[in-house]
Amino acid sequence: MLAFLLWVAALALVVSSFNGVGFSAAEFVKGLPQMGRFAAGLFPPSLDRIEPVLWSLLETFQMAIAGTVIGVILSVPFAILSARRLSPHPVVQWLARALVSLFRTVPDLIWALFFVVTVGLGPFAGTLALIVDTVGFCGRFFAEAMEEADRGPQEALSALGARKGAIIACAVLPAALPSMIATSLFSLEKATRSSVVLGLVGAGGIGMELEVALTFFNYPEAATIILAIFVLVLIVEQLSGMFRRRIIT
Amino acid sequence: MTTATLAADAAAPAARKADRGPVAIAATGIAKRFGAGPAVLEDVDLTVHRGEAVALIGANGAGKSTLLRCLLRLVEPDAGEVLVLGERIGALSPRALRRVRTRVGFVFQKHNLVPRLSVLSNVVHGALGRAGLAAMHHATAPATLRAEALASLDRVGLAHLARQRADTLSGGQSQRVAIARALMQRPDALFADEPVASLDPAAGEEVMTLFSGLAREAGLTLLFTTHNMAHALGHADRVIGLRAGRIAIDARAAPALAPQLERFFD
Repeated sequence: MLAFLLWVAALALVVSSFNGVGFSAAEFVKGLPQMGRFAAGLFPPSLDRIEPVLWSLLETFQMAIAGTVIGVILSVPFAILSARRLSPHPVVQWLARALVSLFRTVPDLIWALFFVVTVGLGPFAGTLALIVDTVGFCGRFFAEAMEEADRGPQEALSALGARKGAIIACAVLPAALPSMIATSLFSLEKATRSSVVLGLVGAGGIGMELEVALTFFNYPEAATIILAIFVLVLIVEQLSGMFRRRIIT
Repeated sequence: MTTATLAADAAAPAARKADRGPVAIAATGIAKRFGAGPAVLEDVDLTVHRGEAVALIGANGAGKSTLLRCLLRLVEPDAGEVLVLGERIGALSPRALRRVRTRVGFVFQKHNLVPRLSVLSNVVHGALGRAGLAAMHHATAPATLRAEALASLDRVGLAHLARQRADTLSGGQSQRVAIARALMQRPDALFADEPVASLDPAAGEEVMTLFSGLAREAGLTLLFTTHNMAHALGHADRVIGLRAGRIAIDARAAPALAPQLERFFD
């Protein structure tokens, strides 16, 4: 009976969600010509400003790389402090977890706005936002990987008189490393996609170019930028996937 | 007092006389219970003399592994006092406890090597207690530590596998590496928790012979748990049997003891 009631409640939630967002197939079909006109305006893509677009794309990638590398490095101590059995004290563990949750739950766009106010417009603000976002993402998954590490080697090193730091360095990190590298590569993919959006609020990168192109209805140039972003994200995802497969095997 | 204890009484004084010497390990009144479950150990007294080899036997759940862990506070006993190599470990600070642990090599049932690291790095880890983070990897270890680790590996016959990853070894090889890691501690005593239980009989006999031989050769105190009567009688000077968390027999190891020990092997 309880299971039936749960199913009914779940169904009611789905139906009310469709109503709440004004989901309408008719409206969508009515808007298709508009979409067609917009899509047609994008073609052919304009290569007039290809050079500044490519420089902005490089800046975007640099933001993603710098933000991910620093974020991953900072995530390690956060993960250790927030992992069960590794944290030095329950209060420290709670604080570290709360901070990592805060970094993760506040959207990167909000962090970007925060840092644009702090350090001004440009890629540095975007990079800081990516660092915070990466710590929020990697901090959690690194901690989980460390908690799942086989306890046998840890007990063996504890039994031979090793300090906690040595146990983490010699038994926990080697066990968690494949998962941590895979998470870091996911994080790089995520940062590459995010760094595009961050430009929309003035935090550097190709997003700023896209925003200007769309504001001035320069759709052919916007198309070039979108295609450039697509290629960059695709390359990063392919390379990251290739590295992950190599790590797993 | 149980029948088995009474039956062993004739043999036990002789054993104690023969092994009398400095005490390496002494435990009195050890008790342990996990949560609301039944008592795993109840009022256990145990004395092991320096250089003595003692086998702890008992059915599954008799408390052997817990007792062994309580002796190094890998599991905190609820009550009782433990003296290890002259130190009352219950009162020790974490630092002093680590110092005592460096003097006791512990070999686990499932070798507990770090799988992704090289065999040599795993053996170098044996020096973590005295050398700190310099012993975290064979590449960071000073040449003297590396040479010592290679010598330890040589003692277990695996020096040629030093650069191989630990997770590529067989069960028997892994357990030998775990023994080399314990030797790397330069221990005064060796503990082993069913060190050959996960190996096939031939590999188990081989590893057990190597293990007890190395301990005897170096004059180390040896305390091991086992489920194998032949190992208990063949590699120990004394056999202690646990039943339901209490010591039920404590006698010198001799073939004549075999019938009394049968009931401890389920």
